[in-house]
Amino acid sequence: MSAYLDLRHISKTYAQTRVLDDVNLQAAEGELVTLLGPSGCGKSTLLRCIAGLTDLDGGSITLRQKDLTQLPPRAREVGMVFQSYALFPNLTAGENVEYGLRMNGQSKRERAKRAEALLALVDLEAKRDAYPHQLSGGQQQRIALARSLAVEPKLLLLDEPLSALDAQIRKNLRTEIREIQKRLNMTTLFVTHDQEEALTMSDRVCIMNRGKIVQQGDPETIYTKPETEFVARFMGSYNVLTRQEALRLFERVDGTADSFALRPESVKLLEADDDRIDGNSGRKVAEGTVHAVSILGTIVRYAIDVSGVRLTVDRLNDGRLIGMNVGRSVRLSVDPAQLLSLDKEGA
Amino acid sequence: MNSKDKPRRKRRNRWVFVGLVPFAIMVLAFQLAPVLSMISGSFRPDVGSGFTLHNYYTALHSPFYLKAIKNSLLISAYSSLIGIVVGLVCAYSVTRFSPAIRDRLLMLSNMTSNFAGVPLAFAYIILLGANGVFTLLFRQWGWSAFADFNLYSWSGLILVYVYFQIPLSMLLLYPAYYGIREQWKEAASLLGASSWQFWRTVGLPILAPSAFGTLGILFANAMGAYATAYALVGGNYNLLVIRIGSLVAGDVTNQPNLGSALAVLLAVSTLLAVFLNHWMTKRAAKYLTSGEGVG
Amino acid sequence: MTEKPRAGWGHVSLQVLLLVYLLLPLAATGLYAFAKNWQNTLLPKQWTLEWFNAMFTDMRFFIALWNSFYLCAISVALSLVVMLPAVFVLTVYFPKWESFMKGIVVLPYAVPGVVAAVGLIRTYSSGPIEIAGTAYLLIGAYFVAVLPYMYQGLRNSMLTVSAPELMQAAELLGAKPIKAFLTVVFPNILPGVMISTLLSFSVLFGEFVLTNMLVGAHIPTIQVYLYQRSGESGHLSSAIGITYFVFILLLSMVLLKLGRRLNRGTRP
Repeated sequence: MSAYLDLRHISKTYAQTRVLDDVNLQAAEGELVTLLGPSGCGKSTLLRCIAGLTDLDGGSITLRQKDLTQLPPRAREVGMVFQSYALFPNLTAGENVEYGLRMNGQSKRERAKRAEALLALVDLEAKRDAYPHQLSGGQQQRIALARSLAVEPKLLLLDEPLSALDAQIRKNLRTEIREIQKRLNMTTLFVTHDQEEALTMSDRVCIMNRGKIVQQGDPETIYTKPETEFVARFMGSYNVLTRQEALRLFERVDGTADSFALRPESVKLLEADDDRIDGNSGRKVAEGTVHAVSILGTIVRYAIDVSGVRLTVDRLNDGRLIGMNVGRSVRLSVDPAQLLSLDKEGA
Repeated sequence: MNSKDKPRRKRRNRWVFVGLVPFAIMVLAFQLAPVLSMISGSFRPDVGSGFTLHNYYTALHSPFYLKAIKNSLLISAYSSLIGIVVGLVCAYSVTRFSPAIRDRLLMLSNMTSNFAGVPLAFAYIILLGANGVFTLLFRQWGWSAFADFNLYSWSGLILVYVYFQIPLSMLLLYPAYYGIREQWKEAASLLGASSWQFWRTVGLPILAPSAFGTLGILFANAMGAYATAYALVGGNYNLLVIRIGSLVAGDVTNQPNLGSALAVLLAVSTLLAVFLNHWMTKRAAKYLTSGEGVG
Repeated sequence: MTEKPRAGWGHVSLQVLLLVYLLLPLAATGLYAFAKNWQNTLLPKQWTLEWFNAMFTDMRFFIALWNSFYLCAISVALSLVVMLPAVFVLTVYFPKWESFMKGIVVLPYAVPGVVAAVGLIRTYSSGPIEIAGTAYLLIGAYFVAVLPYMYQGLRNSMLTVSAPELMQAAELLGAKPIKAFLTVVFPNILPGVMISTLLSFSVLFGEFVLTNMLVGAHIPTIQVYLYQRSGESGHLSSAIGITYFVFILLLSMVLLKLGRRLNRGTRP
């Protein structure tokens, strides 16, 4: 038994720094796995190791039961899209797409046919004869995608392909890439440092920190159940509390963890005269002072001091809490069941 | 398994070393070997054999060679100082023009830097030599201020050296002015600084490393300038480069080891100057990139 | 947002003054080359082409021109053949050696020609390889003299087109390294290669120190010839000087054109 892509015990050291530290990762056929992490966490290095552009210090890479570890890049049947596109500036868009086929010795007719199909796939048939410098960034990246798909790789590697693009183009292209990936059932590793990108595109997200995969799972799990302090902080505006802070809020907490996460949406602000709240739901009611208010479009975010703990609290911006000014006393309720124990590891 | 892949990969990339072999041979034969030979020669007597410091002793004690070193240092120092001052002013002035005119001006100034060495010396002889056009004109007009001017002397050499220092100085300095962003000036003026105060407190400190670095290059350039001096004054003016040339390749006095010692001294001075440039360029780069390094 | 640069009268007159200063020696040489007689007047009274005529009928001029030409051409070609693979290998496979390489390559820039000549004469005037006074030694010296220009030029153009990335992309698409170099790196750096070549050529064409000290009168190049004749007739040497200058000027105009093309072609 073996996964479609199987990475075992990958390690890599650059000048005494462990860039990759015993990384294990499996991917099923057709799966889109995202490697997400801050810059310098080793995600791009991992991708380059799989492509054969960087040497491994240890470990093995197996793709469809074939050991790639010792093969040169050209024999690995792996396609890669670079952040900077890396289109060949002396060749037209069409010639760029054909390049891999030319290297495989395919005939001119076959090449032209295949290139046409791929240009159609990325919706750029009209730009066949344009040179890279005549194309926009988004168009160049689509050509780069078509070029790497033309040789029918068994694995597609995307190294922050969207980070050089404008926000709007980025959103469109990310949907497009996901659609193409699904249509071709292309097993894909996608590297990014953008949480939103990772959550919207992936079948599975692997969060990396300091050369290790610290947590992996489907986007929903990753978002709702961070296991470590690092993931909780990296995935958004989680309130990360120490054990003492948690005890001050809840008097009693389960488990022996040293730190806890509380999602900002799970804290409820109570209306001034709202007294009926549930004695039996287990929620705790606490008094606090508004420290800051910021309006983030559909969400209003409050920073509220509660018994010496500063909590981030999100409310839908429905216009009801307009009067909540800085310095005002508020009551809020927190649910002990929403308190997640975190692993200190990876903080 | 990990010990298995490493040698394999190394072998795969070994061919690339072949590309470096001819380069290594050429550099070894025509750059490193000569330098080593020169250094070792400088410690050998011109007559006899063995190790000696006598060549350096002669170089630094004989009034004749001492004068040559002094002349070279002074001419280089003066011409590069003048070059840097003129360069700073003119480079700033150039940045005040629209890009099209600016590029034309810089192109013209660079073009004249091709006009160096023998042809340059020659042009000055035509203009200001013993029978130069201006020399004769000034004499005719009775401008006595120029009567004492002698092209083949100290002041003449400075004049010609400055000519080839200015375009180089401008070329090296003008990019530094673009490091000073227009927003900084705007920010300074909003904070109440006058234009002069801005330059004194922000502009010049930022330019300083570039200016000192350029000074190093100009100095090295002048110390090593041979063609101009050779064509202008020949053996008549005592300069370090001229002395070295005649000691090593001269017909009359052939003392290659003494020449080597002088050459080592010259090389040390220019290397120090270039090192100054290197060091200053690093500092300048630190100023000018700090904004982008964040994040 | 950027304000329009404002060049006041002060700046304009400063630049005019500078240009007059810089162009005066050139203009003088030019006028002198065409002047029949030039004394005691602001401009020559009579014009003539006889100096150019004398130059073009002097066999020694053509020999010097030919010497310059073949020595420069061979040296530059040799430099290209040696440097292109070396710079490629260094930029793509050993970027870590960069600072070490820079040290080697800057050395000819920091060490004056006289010093280089001293070492070369010492090394090769005796011993196993006795080539002092020959064209071989001069070509070797020329190779080192253009090292900084070649290295910087080639390296910059490889970095401008991001040669390492292009190589990686090509190899992932199945190209062998040499094929990848020929199909995607070389065509893109071609303008840069031409610039480095022409620049090196024009640097060597104006070289005097090494030539004079290493081969001198044995193989007179155009610079040495100019020096030899400057003692004879001022007008004739002006004609030679201005011809040389015009040639270099044409060369740098070609360089400028190529430089623009290089920048335009690689804009992302």
